[in-house]
Amino acid sequence: MPSDFLIDQLVGDLRPVRRSNPRRQLAILLGLAAIELAGFLALGTLRPDAAAALGRAAFWWKMGGLALLAAFGVHIALGSFNPVSSPRSGLRRWLAVVAGLFLAGWVIDAAGQGVDALATRLMWRMGVECLTVMSILSIPPVIALGVMMRRGAPTDRQASSVAVGVAAATWGALIFAFHCPSDDPF
Amino acid sequence: MVAAQQGNAGAYRRLLDELRKWLCRFYARRLPPAMVEDAVQDALIAIHDKRHTYDPERPFKPWLVAVARYKWIDRLRSMGRATTEELPDDIAVEDHESSVTSSVVLAQLMTELKPAQAEAIRLVKIEGFSVEEASARTGQSGSLIKVNIHRGLARLAAIVQKQPDAE
Repeated sequence: MPSDFLIDQLVGDLRPVRRSNPRRQLAILLGLAAIELAGFLALGTLRPDAAAALGRAAFWWKMGGLALLAAFGVHIALGSFNPVSSPRSGLRRWLAVVAGLFLAGWVIDAAGQGVDALATRLMWRMGVECLTVMSILSIPPVIALGVMMRRGAPTDRQASSVAVGVAAATWGALIFAFHCPSDDPF
Repeated sequence: MVAAQQGNAGAYRRLLDELRKWLCRFYARRLPPAMVEDAVQDALIAIHDKRHTYDPERPFKPWLVAVARYKWIDRLRSMGRATTEELPDDIAVEDHESSVTSSVVLAQLMTELKPAQAEAIRLVKIEGFSVEEASARTGQSGSLIKVNIHRGLARLAAIVQKQPDAE
């Protein structure tokens, strides 16, 4: 039987392996986030009104919301690298959290500054610049999660890739939020 | 598997021998007979490559089923990419049809396809007819046969992907 030869080869190739450990992966990602944030702030990018922003609800909404989305996205992505887990239900919950956060953000923003002031801040040029920087900041996490995905055994590769994408994107946005002076959903 | 993760070759050989039998049964119900051996070998290699992802604190069977099912979906997708070669009449096997219909899970899945898609897949990918022969038998054009195979196999893979893991 042809499988006999294959089994001989696989047994001959057997080496002890280090089991996948989500806690170890999480520690690596936290270290990477700390290094990236420190490097970003070392460029003098911390928002100039940081001290004043600490007293505003919108600031905490933005930082807390992005941290929640990034952490939840990483949790879904890491979980999906195990063959028995599909990230699809997690991604649906992640989208529900996004919707809830946007709704809360608009309420906080409109209550603080009014709808008219909000409309005047829709500057698309600045938005494009922000997106560019956020995309660059998303590169380290997307590489790290990509390596972990490759070492793992995702059985729903499409959804795992989406999970890696949303985790890395919100991670990049969270780092950028330390620089961005606009505390609104836009 | 825990012993295999630690490098115990004897335990690993016993495990792979058991898994081979289990995988043969698993794929025999889901794939045409000609594909079963390749699928078993693919799955054994995947189990070997990804053995570090098995968590001993969880049951082994769901992990095994997930890997086997993933390779099944891979096979279904690869059926669409593989070119179909015309088979000469003299290699026909008597019990071929009964072997095909023994792939009960595959047969059940095919009922969820449009009849034209199921017919195109059955004739070309399972029974080995050329696209032209399938076209003549079904009345579909050659292009339509190819489209139906492509769409039908993609739909089969999507159906399997959405199904919960089960042996």
